[in-house]
Amino acid sequence: MAGTGVAAAPRQTGSLWSRLPGFIRRSVSIVVLLLTWEGVAQAGWVDPFLLPGLSDVLRRGYEEVGSAGLVYLTGLTLYRTLFAFVLASIIGVSIGVAMSVSKTTRWFCDPLVSFMFPIPKIALLPIFVLWFGVFDVSKITMTTVACIVPIISATHLGTRNIDKYLIWSARALGTSQRKMFWKIVVPAALPAILTGLQIAFPITLIVSIVCEMLTGGQGLGGYMIYAARFGESDKVFLGIFFTALIGYVLIEGFAWLRRRLLVWHTETSGAV
Amino acid sequence: MTAVRFYIPLFLIVAFWQMAAMVGMVDVELLPSPLAIGNGLAHLATAGDLMLHVGVSVYRQMAGLILAAIIGVSLGIGMAHVAWVRDVFEPIVRLTYPLPKSALIPLLILWFGIGHNSKIFAVFLGCLLPVVVSSFNGTRGVNTQLVWSARSLGTRGIRLLWKIYFQAALPEILSGLRIALALSYTLLVSSEFLIARAGLGFLIQSLGEAGDYPGMFAGILIVALIGFTADRLYVKWMNWMLRWQEQA
Amino acid sequence: MAYIEIEGVSKVYQADTPDPIIACDRVDLDIERDSIVTIVGPSGCGKSTLLHMIGGFITPSSGEIRFGGEQIVEPGPDRGVVFQHFALFPWMTVRGNVEYGLAEKRMPKAQRREVSQHYIDMVKLTGFEDSYPNRLSGGMQQRVALARMLACDPDTLLMDEPFGALDAQTRMIMQEELREICRASKKTVLFVTHDVREAVFLGERVVVMTARPGRIKAVLDIDLADDAPRLAVDEKADEIWDILRDEVIKAVVPGASYSERAAG
Repeated sequence: MAGTGVAAAPRQTGSLWSRLPGFIRRSVSIVVLLLTWEGVAQAGWVDPFLLPGLSDVLRRGYEEVGSAGLVYLTGLTLYRTLFAFVLASIIGVSIGVAMSVSKTTRWFCDPLVSFMFPIPKIALLPIFVLWFGVFDVSKITMTTVACIVPIISATHLGTRNIDKYLIWSARALGTSQRKMFWKIVVPAALPAILTGLQIAFPITLIVSIVCEMLTGGQGLGGYMIYAARFGESDKVFLGIFFTALIGYVLIEGFAWLRRRLLVWHTETSGAV
Repeated sequence: MTAVRFYIPLFLIVAFWQMAAMVGMVDVELLPSPLAIGNGLAHLATAGDLMLHVGVSVYRQMAGLILAAIIGVSLGIGMAHVAWVRDVFEPIVRLTYPLPKSALIPLLILWFGIGHNSKIFAVFLGCLLPVVVSSFNGTRGVNTQLVWSARSLGTRGIRLLWKIYFQAALPEILSGLRIALALSYTLLVSSEFLIARAGLGFLIQSLGEAGDYPGMFAGILIVALIGFTADRLYVKWMNWMLRWQEQA
Repeated sequence: MAYIEIEGVSKVYQADTPDPIIACDRVDLDIERDSIVTIVGPSGCGKSTLLHMIGGFITPSSGEIRFGGEQIVEPGPDRGVVFQHFALFPWMTVRGNVEYGLAEKRMPKAQRREVSQHYIDMVKLTGFEDSYPNRLSGGMQQRVALARMLACDPDTLLMDEPFGALDAQTRMIMQEELREICRASKKTVLFVTHDVREAVFLGERVVVMTARPGRIKAVLDIDLADDAPRLAVDEKADEIWDILRDEVIKAVVPGASYSERAAG
């Protein structure tokens, strides 16, 4: 979210604040929060069971990372998440494309996608556990099913709404109907497809973590829920940090990938 | 009615499923037939406490969602208008954006235990961010020429805020709320699966553990239908609120 | 036999409903080879529809369109097109766009380079070969579209309000450049526009269409000297505007004509 001119003049409380340089103004709240956290914990105002100090969490983190255990768990979570995502991307894009090309596929899949869209797909987890047990297969299946719907939707929409003048220009320049799809439709739909993938991505991580919490096994989700059950709150916080870290790395990574692939696209700017 | 015609493939799938079950193509232990599920559903409805569980779940979901909506919209609009609000909250939003809010569930369980509050807060925290972001973007993206026209026609201050900014930002705010609605059910179900004494998630888990698979499937169906219907109703309401908009 | 024969061509949408939309109504037009013909008309008069049918993108509801005696059925590289909103392939560079048709013809790479460079230079975009369209101004993008069309060396050039999306100043420059290009090469040019001055400036013949349902109202020859000043163009344009004015009012105020409004 870059600052932009807003029509209403921003009302500022006192000019002192507005005279501070930008990066200070923007980091104040984080710093204040962290300091308050540590202060409150040290002062003992809150039960250390509920709120371990920042320093305690960091200390625990140092131990855990040193023993490589937590890193291994993070790797497992990452593996499941990415595997499911790649699977969902391949299947989802294929179905989306098929829906644009074949009327029958569209007739069949449209209501399915419409129905699946608003329902909490995590509710299907007990079914997958029933069928596949509590190990990786059920987790990955659940995650794939959960994130595939936005991918199908975005791909279908993207490949359907191609500017007809692009198609007509290509025809006037000698492109056969056969080659039209791969040469013109797919590149033109790429921004929309990537947006669908970008929306699906965070969903993959969310669902992956929840599956781990519910079905046990090693991974960040399992780590956090066991820690909660045994009252080890510093581990819970550590787990949250690590999850946020993966989340951040993956999301930034994806954004970077999108910029590289779509260097030719007129991106709209401004939003978060 | 054309809406029913649209869903014909779904009915076909159910019909095919039923036939497959009767012919023995599927293991009915693992995949109960639609009729068996219907049976389970009827059983649940009459056995007494289904409505209790539904009520508990809906209460938790609504409470969390409404809280997130009120606070989120206010925060988002505030951030778009007032510079210091943006400076204070934007870094926090940025920082927590990549964190999957479901990762907070164990922490909430630690803090609030097994009762309602852990679920309500899970829903609240999960839904807050999409609402804040869409309110922020919606308000920021208001066409400046709209605002200037209103000001030159005499609107000022709070009235300006309400009549112009809010209305113009409404489409984006409402679509952010729709996403939050879907998320609220996901977080509700996740937290109720994990640790609860009541609610639909708890019901589904206990039916599964007891080996009553038709009942379990029926419970899942109820959850799916609630989520689906809520979305449909919301879209109807949203379209009514935005009836002045041009059809894209 | 004229080069392009348009005979009794109509295009009707929603024909089976009580309110069919007649975009074109029995249009008859003959176009000589290597002539520059501009088509003007009010909005909705079907001039673009007519052009799209000549290009082979839409099929007429009735009537025939023949090129050199043969009926056309499909778009092809013998009829180049430029559209109002450029329709450049955004994921390709300028060179990529210009070379696209050449690649379809399976021209070897070195030769493609030469040809595309020639046309990029011709439209005065030297130095921008490796830019993506999103970095170019409207006028520049339209020049790429022109170069892309010309590179394939089509016999006929079809232009659908190509300068409609440009600001008035750029438009005037583009008109002059296009006229130079058209006069330098021997091509049959069909140019659709709503701007009467533009039609007179560019065209050797101007076709005036009525409001919907679109028919040919008048066909005028323009005999202005090659270097005629803009003033002479304006005078001729005013003549044509007198013919066109009624149709525009009909299009803007359905059911009224200028004489009716003047009287009442």
